[in-house]
Amino acid sequence: MSAITLRDPTAESAAVNRPRQPPPASLDGKTVALLDIGKMRGDEFVDRLEQLFTESKVSTKRYKKPTNTRTAPTEIIQDIVTETDVVVLALSDCGSCTSCSTHDLNDLDNLGIPGVSVLTTAFKQAFEQQCSKIGFDGASVYTPHPVLNRTTEQIHQFADSVFDEIRAAIVLSPAGGA
Amino acid sequence: MSDASQISHLLFVKAECETCQLIEPVIGEAIDAGKAIRILVQDDPAFLGAHSPGDDTLLEESYRWNVETTPTLIALDHDRETGRVDGWDRAGWREMLDMPTLAEDLPEFRPGCGSRSLEPGIYENLVSSYGDPGLSARVVRLEEWDDEMESCFDHGWTDGLPVTPPTDARILRMLKGTSRAADEVIGKVPPNLASITVEKAAVNAVMAGCKPEYFPVVLAALEAALEPVFTLHGLLCTTCFSSPIIVVNGPIAKRIGMNWGINALGQGNRANSTIGRALQLIVRNVGGGIPGDLDRSTLGGPGKHTFCFAEDEYTDPDWEPLSVSRGFERGQNTVTLFQGDGVQGIIDWRSNTPEELSKSLAMSLLAVGHVKLAEFTNAMLVLSPEHHAIFRDAGWTRADITASLYDDLKRPGAEIVQGAQGVGEGIDPARGEETVNKFWPEGLLIVRAGGQAGLYSAILCGWTGGRFREESQPVTREIVL
Repeated sequence: MSAITLRDPTAESAAVNRPRQPPPASLDGKTVALLDIGKMRGDEFVDRLEQLFTESKVSTKRYKKPTNTRTAPTEIIQDIVTETDVVVLALSDCGSCTSCSTHDLNDLDNLGIPGVSVLTTAFKQAFEQQCSKIGFDGASVYTPHPVLNRTTEQIHQFADSVFDEIRAAIVLSPAGGA
Repeated sequence: MSDASQISHLLFVKAECETCQLIEPVIGEAIDAGKAIRILVQDDPAFLGAHSPGDDTLLEESYRWNVETTPTLIALDHDRETGRVDGWDRAGWREMLDMPTLAEDLPEFRPGCGSRSLEPGIYENLVSSYGDPGLSARVVRLEEWDDEMESCFDHGWTDGLPVTPPTDARILRMLKGTSRAADEVIGKVPPNLASITVEKAAVNAVMAGCKPEYFPVVLAALEAALEPVFTLHGLLCTTCFSSPIIVVNGPIAKRIGMNWGINALGQGNRANSTIGRALQLIVRNVGGGIPGDLDRSTLGGPGKHTFCFAEDEYTDPDWEPLSVSRGFERGQNTVTLFQGDGVQGIIDWRSNTPEELSKSLAMSLLAVGHVKLAEFTNAMLVLSPEHHAIFRDAGWTRADITASLYDDLKRPGAEIVQGAQGVGEGIDPARGEETVNKFWPEGLLIVRAGGQAGLYSAILCGWTGGRFREESQPVTREIVL
């Protein structure tokens, strides 16, 4: 089986990637899905995010993939679509979790749920490549790598340090861009 | 087998070619005489197995050497061609191989067969694999295990249905459907007013599922849509239901297998389905007219996937086609683009005089847009053969039908002014004393199409932009092959 080459049918005035859905103008009255992608220690990161959103009076709902090595089960995707407005996926710190969670981000976006994926810095390039292969301009936020060997306190500090960035990524920017 | 530097001749053959089979002993004779001939077989690598032939089933060598015929014998001087003989030509072979008595028992001439590398469907694949396809659209590379159909969805290139992945070979085949240059700019597609070339139109026509012979119709429809008076920009951004409806006239309809008969406005015919879809994909992909972004249609309509059909110019030779009524010659290939939606069916099983049927059709036509609106939209009436027969048998022509409907569509203004009959919608209250026409005099387009049985006709409702009589009009344009 050999790779296929296609030609772009668009005006090529934009990047080849499909832009993501515009996020809401504010999180007032919205519910943020916190999708734990199922990687070890990720739950500690998501715990802290949940706490931070609650402190800023944003309602959240937790979901967890059975494994980080596969894309999310259809049922979880459908639950997120019916129960929430935007999604934060965390925390990808390996190749398979990056690929699978990027597909999850794209699948949710296609169903009208914009979101952001949180990854470790080591997987920035993998995320960008996966987005490019899917043809999707996904949003991402990065924490330091690695996380597996950190203390819970350190992982919470990572969450603290990127929380504003995560929040900004799921709200329409004042300039009107997504 | 000799190494490359010693090869004096290339010979392209295929096992299924009778001439190649005929000359098998000649090849043996030449090789026995010490000629360093490299044999390349296009189909069965076991053919001429005694002479250790090369396998060219992928046709790369045949393509690179521009082989048109089998057998083809090419003389080399240090890998450069110094001459060739196409087919079996005994004198030519004798001279090229310097063997004056070669093949005494064979006929002097046999034309041979066409090279596999030039067979339909193959050549464009060879160009895209081994040559320069000469295309300028941006390349999108998929990974080895990517599903190309899903990839088109993921890129946001489709209307919600699968598309044919636009590979170079398919685009090259599509471009063969037109005499126009691939880099010719056709115009600017709204809402982004992005330039579109013939090549970019071909990419979208491939995705829509068009055959190359449909492509001139797609290009004509695109050009008609881009004429300012068609107001495509407003039409595709509108909150209304409408989109371009394409009616094809002239012999091309039959030549490319369009449907004007049973189910003409429905599914099931490739040309009807894909020509309309190609225009819609161009609007989406090149223009950026994406539902929810700048396509703001409140409800949309199934016609926004595709809406294209041909007029029946065959079952009644006396019927004046739509294109002729719009100033073109009979026999000229044209597209007429109408801003509309539908279908709104008219059931009339009982009228049997032309006067009665005209009144009956007019009653249904009054509902276009809103019963109480007038000179607000245009309309297209698709007259079925059985309904048309009632007019024809009484000697009525297109002009007679149009004039009668125009009269039957007049109403007292008082009945339809805003607020009349307890309904706020309606015409300007100042027109209460007038007799009001439903459509502009040129605003009702009649097309004859449909199955031979069925006392039904159909209304394709016009767009609200039609109220600006001079600003927004249907457009008819010749199809250039």
